Amino acid sequence: MPEAMEHEALNQALDAEKDSEGVVEARNVARFLTFLSDGLYFGVNTRNVIEIINNHQIRTLPMVPDYVRGIINLRGQVIPIIDMRLRMGKPFQEYTPKTCIVILEIDSNTIGIVVDSVAQVLDIDLDRITPIPTENRQELTNSMISIDGTVILLLECEAIVENQM
Amino acid sequence: MDNATDSLLETYLFETGTLLEQLDELLIDAEQNGDFTEDNVNEIFRSMHTIKGSSAMLEFNSLMEIAHHIEDLFFYIRENGMDTLSSDHKSELFNLMFSSVDKLREEVGKVENSEPLDTNIDSFIQNINDFLNKISNNESDAAANDAPSAAGESAAPGIDALIPDMGSPYLLHIYFDEDCGMENLRAFMLVTSLRETEMPFTFYPEDIETNSSSSEYITENGFYLGFDSQAEAEQAVDYLSSAGNVRAFEIVQAPSKEEPKEPETPSAEPETKQESSKPAASDKKPAEKKQQSAGGAAHAAKQSLISVNQSKLDSLMAIVGEIVITESMVTSSPELQDIKLDSFLKSARQLRKLTDDLQDISMSLRMVPVASVFQKMNRIVRDMSKTLNKDVRLTIIGEHTEVDKSIVDSIGDPIMHIVRNAMDHGIEATSEERVAAGKKPQGEIILAAEHTGSEVIISVTDDGGGVDPDAVLAKAAANGILTKPEEEYSKKEILSLLMAPGFSTNTEVTEYSGRGVGMDVVKRNVENVGGVISITSEKGQGSCFTLKIPLTLAIVDGMEISVGNAVFTIPIANIRQSFKAKETDVVLDAAGNEMIRCMDDYYPIIRLHELYSMDDAYTQIDDGILIWVEASDKSYCMFVDELIGEQQVVVKPLPSYLNNFNIKNSGISGCTILGDGNISIILDVASVYYTAQNTFF
Repeated sequence: MPEAMEHEALNQALDAEKDSEGVVEARNVARFLTFLSDGLYFGVNTRNVIEIINNHQIRTLPMVPDYVRGIINLRGQVIPIIDMRLRMGKPFQEYTPKTCIVILEIDSNTIGIVVDSVAQVLDIDLDRITPIPTENRQELTNSMISIDGTVILLLECEAIVENQM
Repeated sequence: MDNATDSLLETYLFETGTLLEQLDELLIDAEQNGDFTEDNVNEIFRSMHTIKGSSAMLEFNSLMEIAHHIEDLFFYIRENGMDTLSSDHKSELFNLMFSSVDKLREEVGKVENSEPLDTNIDSFIQNINDFLNKISNNESDAAANDAPSAAGESAAPGIDALIPDMGSPYLLHIYFDEDCGMENLRAFMLVTSLRETEMPFTFYPEDIETNSSSSEYITENGFYLGFDSQAEAEQAVDYLSSAGNVRAFEIVQAPSKEEPKEPETPSAEPETKQESSKPAASDKKPAEKKQQSAGGAAHAAKQSLISVNQSKLDSLMAIVGEIVITESMVTSSPELQDIKLDSFLKSARQLRKLTDDLQDISMSLRMVPVASVFQKMNRIVRDMSKTLNKDVRLTIIGEHTEVDKSIVDSIGDPIMHIVRNAMDHGIEATSEERVAAGKKPQGEIILAAEHTGSEVIISVTDDGGGVDPDAVLAKAAANGILTKPEEEYSKKEILSLLMAPGFSTNTEVTEYSGRGVGMDVVKRNVENVGGVISITSEKGQGSCFTLKIPLTLAIVDGMEISVGNAVFTIPIANIRQSFKAKETDVVLDAAGNEMIRCMDDYYPIIRLHELYSMDDAYTQIDDGILIWVEASDKSYCMFVDELIGEQQVVVKPLPSYLNNFNIKNSGISGCTILGDGNISIILDVASVYYTAQNTFF
């Protein structure tokens, strides 16, 4: 299972990063986990990332918006799962073996987001981040960075857990 | 450091709260007897002393001042005995004490909510002092003048001598942190904790407890503890290192071993047991000291109880729940099914037994007697008897019945409301009225609790006027809360109107009840903890409110059911019956809603798959199964695919993120993790009904 190995490797990278956090913070650099959703690259600060899992059985919930896919049991902890595509108003795509759930901790809320696939952990120079022009701005992102021609939209974690009925 | 202060504060709040509660009980008892016994006086004195000390340490001045003045008052009473008080004075004393305890509680409440404390307590203290002056005919003034001068004398020789003469060969010289404040009380706490070791020792200055100016001496010259041997002194050092705010200490050998010059010294030693009966001023101190060592002994006896943060118990409960689940996950693992494993099965059985025991014990940790709630009612009945001028007695039965802590916390308000209602509306206004109705002049309210298997039943019965069904109906009609013609209401239905929103039978708003929020709030609170409330009443005979409450919320006996691929859990307590039905049994009402006959009545059918828009479930009534469920006054049939089986489940709350979507109002009360690791959603039977009503009807 190459996919499984891929996200295991990233999990290890995340763990290693947590050990050396102090060093990274010293420079004006932050680590971001990048992932793919509907053809776009997104980055989320590794500070918020707990782990990456896949192949998890999601228990659907009735009477919630479609982007709330349900809840999962992660080692006894019940975690709500939202689908990034649906959350951003994009069409639903059946889950594949590459589909991952990124578990995030945001303001003491633990939440999982379903993404098409995870890419890598990157050091991002905070000074090079540019705001997204207002007219192109999406609900969950308001800044971006371009690395070697690839644009990475940086996720506003707090916006995910905010109430948007 | 912050953590240390927090836990100190927590302990303080807990301790002070407990003391105040005990005081309340004691006052109620004493008032019934019309007198304070010697023990009562001592206990009040002790409690006030503790509150004063700990409040001073945390610098809650208003609390300290009030406690201090009450302590003075009871000091006087203890010295002179209750007999010197006239009955007028006694009743005034009771009222003063009740208001003082209330005031203290109010201030403690402010501490708890981190609000600023009342700085203007002078008038309050004036009340206490006035009373003290009244009962002592100004004797106390003289005594008060005495005390400081006596203290001044005893402190005087100490300042001259570099090392005070204490009659002990080994001295421990202690300095407290600079600017830590309240040195005398800190020293006193040290002394109290050392006394628990039952090691004979002396200390200097001796008047730390009574004379706040001794703190200046301690600041300047340090605090001395005297011991008989070096070993004992060293043992004391261990205590010192765990005590706070000690800056430095050293063991010094006393230069001379002359007889102590100060008369107080020998009597201050804790081993002195002789009773001092002389009312002389010099004997006040040893008496007080003895009091403290008695307090210390009581404290030691209490050591077998510890107070634990409730959140720790919650997480213990959660983990034990997980262990139980994991245990069944391991032992019933499908990979083991076809293998014959004798010794494994044996160990597995043993493991199950142990985990069951573990679960029982961790459940029992959370169980507390309802006494704390019941005792508060004493006070309410007492206060209301006075204000409403009704003679009412409260009888408490079964206050040792234990329920889950979280439930005890949430039934306090409902019970209080019912008791107030019983006092205000239930019991007749005058005893003449009662006598005319052939009852005893004194009204009675019975508060009872008992266990029945998985529930606790709490009832509040009064022998008052009872509920007049016609008056209730007329009032309900006037308030426009009737849903069908008056003559169709049965008596039970009329009584349940009392708990309908917007109903209050008293037209006048009094201090205690009838503020418009009434029994409907009580009903909701009881239902929130999974309970049911019912009323029975005979006009002229009195009323009875019965609360049936589950013992715990953390674990539920559930029926697992499936709808399509999904598994749900319905609490067994809500299930009346499950049965197969044919399509032809179903009848339709005018709006096309389905109903079915159970026993002799028709009940609506709620199809879970329709309510939750699940498309992989059975749609034919013949294929699935109907479960007749009931919650408080709602009764209906739920249509599901299959029954899976009965299982005890650990209730987990849904993640708070989901509250954004009003998940609580969609019939879901929580979730649970099944033996195979999958999640089952726990349905709230009443809430499913309301959800269906909002969705379909």
